[in-house]
Amino acid sequence: MIDSATLTKKFQKEMNAGIASLVLLSVLQKSAEPMYGYQIAKLFEEYSGDASFMKQGALYPVLHSLESSGLLESKVEPSVSGPPRRYYEITVEGSQMLVIWQGVWKQMKSFVDRAIKGG
Amino acid sequence: MIKSIEEYLDLLKTELNGSDAATIQDALADAEEHLRAALASLREKQPKMSEEEALNQVIEQYGSPDETASAYKEVERRTLPSLARESSNQQDSAFKRFLSVYEDPKAWGALLYMLISLVTGIVYFTWVVTGLSLSLSLAIFIFGLFFAVFFIVSLRGLALLEGRIVEGLLGVRMPRRSLFFQKGTTWFDRLKTNLTDKQVWLTLAYFFLQMPLGVIYFTLIVTLFSLSIALMAAPLVQSITDFPILSIGIMRYYLPSWATPLFLLVGFLIWTLTMHLGRLIGQLHGKYAKMFLVTD
Repeated sequence: MIDSATLTKKFQKEMNAGIASLVLLSVLQKSAEPMYGYQIAKLFEEYSGDASFMKQGALYPVLHSLESSGLLESKVEPSVSGPPRRYYEITVEGSQMLVIWQGVWKQMKSFVDRAIKGG
Repeated sequence: MIKSIEEYLDLLKTELNGSDAATIQDALADAEEHLRAALASLREKQPKMSEEEALNQVIEQYGSPDETASAYKEVERRTLPSLARESSNQQDSAFKRFLSVYEDPKAWGALLYMLISLVTGIVYFTWVVTGLSLSLSLAIFIFGLFFAVFFIVSLRGLALLEGRIVEGLLGVRMPRRSLFFQKGTTWFDRLKTNLTDKQVWLTLAYFFLQMPLGVIYFTLIVTLFSLSIALMAAPLVQSITDFPILSIGIMRYYLPSWATPLFLLVGFLIWTLTMHLGRLIGQLHGKYAKMFLVTD
């Protein structure tokens, strides 16, 4: 018996691995000001509409990993209510990388589209 | 049903058991920041919703503790701290492996760390001693309380900074975020939670010990490298100047020419051994820093 829900979840997770980095970089590139995790998650919610592609909690480890590769930088600032917040901002290297990744994404997208359509 | 953010954090911590301590600290800080912000904004929008219901809606979007934990584990598996590399090829000859230390960024990083630890050690030590004595002596005044809290907060900041240095130079994964404590809201409560926190005392001890350690590291590296350079340079210096290798009274001793390669070899050997020693000390110091600066 094939468990389609689990398999779909696994498929989704594997696809998200790279896409999350691309989307995070794009969002931070467009934003005029540094953003904190919850703000980004809210924006994602807006973009994805009713469909939920990934849990919000999964964004943070990707943010850390992008930061440690030097594509993002962050600073902590106290907030009026609750714990201090970490604000993320794209670096120059991040912007350059984003251009390359967008190119990769375009190629990938047209490849997948053509493969699905079969012609 | 999870009843509070603290309960969620506890569950997340259990789920992350076995992960790197630095990853756990980051995960907990991220979750706390997010859940509190999300909960506050949801409660504002829907004031009638019960606390528990709101929390569970927020968690539903954020991900259950095991989902969140698996996301962190996934990323941890894919990314290594900056200097971590695949361990050197075991098939290489012993001689090649002995020399490979020169291309190991960890060895160079460790040497740099040992050199600058003299400076950072003095800064930390001065800060800790000044902060502690001021906190104690100002304790008789009300504002002494504020000062003590400020001092402890500064320690957390410094610990994070030292963590970055350790990760950058020694290649040991350290947290990117510091944990914060929300349990007490008044200044006195905050001070109390901090004083009973084992982590604060360990951090204090680390900074205190960093000066003697820094002095030892610095002296060791400078002495060994000077010795090595002196040995390698002696034949050369002797050939261009009239400077003897040793002079006792009026007797002057010069190196015989056959000893030149020997001196070069021994000097080079000491340099290489120092690199190995530096790498070893770097590894040990990384473990020790992790034990003292990262919440377990």
